[in-house]
Amino acid sequence: MASTQSEVPTLEPSALTNLIASASASGNLLSATTIQVLHNLQHQHLWTSLQIHDTGASQTATDPANGSSKDISGAPTLISGIPPHRVYTHPDQQLYMLGKGIHEDDLRPERLFVIPTAQGQTWSLRRMASAFDAMAEFQIVEDGEGRAAPEVDAEKAQKLDEYYKKREETLATKEWGAQRLLLAMVDKGMGGDGTVVYYVVQEGEVKPRQN
Amino acid sequence: MDQPTLPIPISFISGRYLLFSIDDVTYLRREYNTCGVLIGTLPQIPQQNVFLGLPLELMPEEARLLVDKGVACIVDEAKAHDGMQSLLEEDRRQYLRELESQGLHATRILAERKDQQRDQKFKEKSDKKAATARAAAKAGGGDKHDSPATPANDSPASVADFFDDSASAKASTSTVPEQIYAVTPTTSYPPLPRPSTSSNNILARPDVPLSYPLFAHLQSRGYFLSPGLRFGCQYVAYPGDPLRFHSHFLVVSAEWDQEIDLMDIIIGGRLGTGVKKGFLLGGPQLSREQAESEIERTESVRTFSIEWAGM
Repeated sequence: MASTQSEVPTLEPSALTNLIASASASGNLLSATTIQVLHNLQHQHLWTSLQIHDTGASQTATDPANGSSKDISGAPTLISGIPPHRVYTHPDQQLYMLGKGIHEDDLRPERLFVIPTAQGQTWSLRRMASAFDAMAEFQIVEDGEGRAAPEVDAEKAQKLDEYYKKREETLATKEWGAQRLLLAMVDKGMGGDGTVVYYVVQEGEVKPRQN
Repeated sequence: MDQPTLPIPISFISGRYLLFSIDDVTYLRREYNTCGVLIGTLPQIPQQNVFLGLPLELMPEEARLLVDKGVACIVDEAKAHDGMQSLLEEDRRQYLRELESQGLHATRILAERKDQQRDQKFKEKSDKKAATARAAAKAGGGDKHDSPATPANDSPASVADFFDDSASAKASTSTVPEQIYAVTPTTSYPPLPRPSTSSNNILARPDVPLSYPLFAHLQSRGYFLSPGLRFGCQYVAYPGDPLRFHSHFLVVSAEWDQEIDLMDIIIGGRLGTGVKKGFLLGGPQLSREQAESEIERTESVRTFSIEWAGM
């Protein structure tokens, strides 16, 4: 048996597997799910300024591979970053922008939060809510890092100013939706191919984009 | 816009909450976002179920919310109809005679309308014939061979038509209609007094599923909710009257610590996006043990709208 096994050429582990293995070997406490989602955002969706926001209480919660996902009290680890294109625009916001003649690409890029999860992981409303509550604490002031807003002429700059003012107002009235984040789910089931799917989750009743 | 006398009696019959008065149904729809589901069909043709009529069936949640608001009360229908026996014999006969005269009236009106239609048709036909005859006579002036052919072809048919029509018309108008339409009243309040709230026919508030707080929460925000079986959810939420708006959400309720399969969120989110709706997941933060009332639970509801991110 030993001789036949040595004849079979061994496959090189994937770059992702190596990354996860090296991270855990170096004593990094982040779960494999978080690393995989971060990797996916960085290399497949080309997000920039990626950060991991660890609440510290979630190490046991976010790793379904161990089957020890019983800790439901802690907030899950969050990832945040700046997507290359806007991921979500509220329908009323879109209408306003159309009226002003503002294109999505004219706007300042916005930081978006992501909850990494894996298929088969237990989930509950409490966990979802704790992610939203944790997100409020992590609001970061952008220091001009990442993608800068594109150069525009004076007329457009004025329209954009009006837009940002309106945006500030809507944050209070929740007219254009309240807090939002992305729920990322890694396919880890049988025959899991490492696909990551993303869903926009918003607090409250926010009308759908196409209706 | 007349308002029915409150509280509106909701008939509880073999486990269902039903409304039989169209005034109550329209009032609740107009003022309290409550649509219910029309379930009445034709007794002879129950498979004809595209357009249904009274009675209106309410979900237990809808009935409970109306009772909690003091707009309605639940009436034990079987008990309420015990009164039928205590009706005076004379009153009963009087009521039956009234129903019969209503039926006779309806039959007469229908017969008259039929006659009118027939006369109208006959008149149109004869006008047409006269016109064609004139046209034929005109054409006949030019060509002598064709002119006799047209009236000859036409006249036997017209004679037959005439006989056919007049014969049947004579039969229906001259005789008293043999079959009087039976009138089936939708409510029993004319013969019986309207059930009063103080009477002992009133039942307790309906028992509701765990999803009631989310239901009440969305109702209070002006959403119209209907049962969600057709979209595989608990409720479908419309931002206004379902006749005027497309629905916004597929609603699923969960308890605060209830385990949710993440795959169910993906399924709901994807289905919702596929049918241009959002998937709304929500529930009360307080469990039934923690809260004193469903009202308290309703106040603690938090909801999350989910859509596919498209990436």
